[in-house]
Amino acid sequence: MSNFLSRAARLAMTGLLLTGTSMSAQAHHSFAMFDHDHQIKISGTVTHFQWTNPHVYIDLDVPTDQGDLKHYTIECANPGILDRIGWKFNMIKVGDKITTIIAPLRTGEPGGLLKQVTLADGRKFENGGPAGKANIQ
Amino acid sequence: MSRNIRTVATMLAVIAASLGTGLVQADSRAGTPAAQVRHPALTGAWDRYSTETLDPRVTAAAPVPPPPLKPAYEAAWLAQQKAAKEADARGQPLYGGYAQCLPDGMPAMMMAMFPMEVLQTPGQITIIEEAYNQVRRIYLNQKQLPIDDAEPGFWGHSVGHWEGDTLVVNTVGIKEEVRFRGAPHSPNMQIDERMRMLSKSIFEDQVTVTDPEYLTAPWNFTWKYVRKPGYKILEYVCEANREYQDPQTGGIRMRIGAPGTASSAPAPASAPASPKP
Repeated sequence: MSNFLSRAARLAMTGLLLTGTSMSAQAHHSFAMFDHDHQIKISGTVTHFQWTNPHVYIDLDVPTDQGDLKHYTIECANPGILDRIGWKFNMIKVGDKITTIIAPLRTGEPGGLLKQVTLADGRKFENGGPAGKANIQ
Repeated sequence: MSRNIRTVATMLAVIAASLGTGLVQADSRAGTPAAQVRHPALTGAWDRYSTETLDPRVTAAAPVPPPPLKPAYEAAWLAQQKAAKEADARGQPLYGGYAQCLPDGMPAMMMAMFPMEVLQTPGQITIIEEAYNQVRRIYLNQKQLPIDDAEPGFWGHSVGHWEGDTLVVNTVGIKEEVRFRGAPHSPNMQIDERMRMLSKSIFEDQVTVTDPEYLTAPWNFTWKYVRKPGYKILEYVCEANREYQDPQTGGIRMRIGAPGTASSAPAPASAPASPKP
């Protein structure tokens, strides 16, 4: 039985290898600026989408309870990491209404590290291995 | 006679196929010199093979051990590691190379943070790392430059030759500011590498850093790479990074707002966000 399991595991591994599954890349710097334990969910309108290295950025105007808008900057991984998990350089556009889960900046400034984005069409994307996953829904 | 030649050729083909080491096949169209025919075929795209063991026959690369620095340098190195940890704990990670858009240089680029491409051409092997568009050129069968003639740089001057199925490379001329894992080194540092295939789709790079002025012993570690078939290396220009150095803490901060917009100026933590029309 264990023999069979190890063979099955080996086959599965080989399958992964053959499909060229991408290996997660390590963080290129510390993410300690962000509070990963107190994630928040914010929805708003995209004012700028910057597809550059070393980071991709989303700028978002978020309506507040007071009826005005608060501007957030959200740091994402880099184009390479995002490409490899299915993002596309033009999948977010100015004017899009999106929802994000972010690890906010520890300074209290309106910004954070993306954990998950939900696009206007409902598709959800994460921010790649190094940035980590959302811990809220 | 011709039948015998055909038989021998078939036998050789079967033996070659059973070796399964990813060797370059003889290719008369490419005019490959006979001496190069049996060298491993490294050309193509690769991913590092470290975080997961995708092929159960090949163990993932072990973590890089700390640099065996002489006590005089080790104390400063340990203090620097501690400072980095404490800065992280404060939420103010230290500002450094990547945030400044500086590439790894050698040997760090060979960790293959992102995929890398190897190109084998006559007399030269070129390695391109996607992260920060890094390129190193290994000149084959040339004498290494005297250190005094090797202009210090990020990737240095590399020469290599084949020893059987192993590519043996020596690199000198790494700038003192280019530090792997923050380890200081002298202008005389040498990086020796031995690259060989471990299976049809995995190769390893055994790295030895030698620097008797700073190290008590050679610093040895190994990186491994797995083929990434069909992958096209992306361009990487480090531009418009919104991370900057906080003049007060020295740590990394992130600029709020797109460049050139009302909210693009770095604001102190207590300042309210700029109102938007």
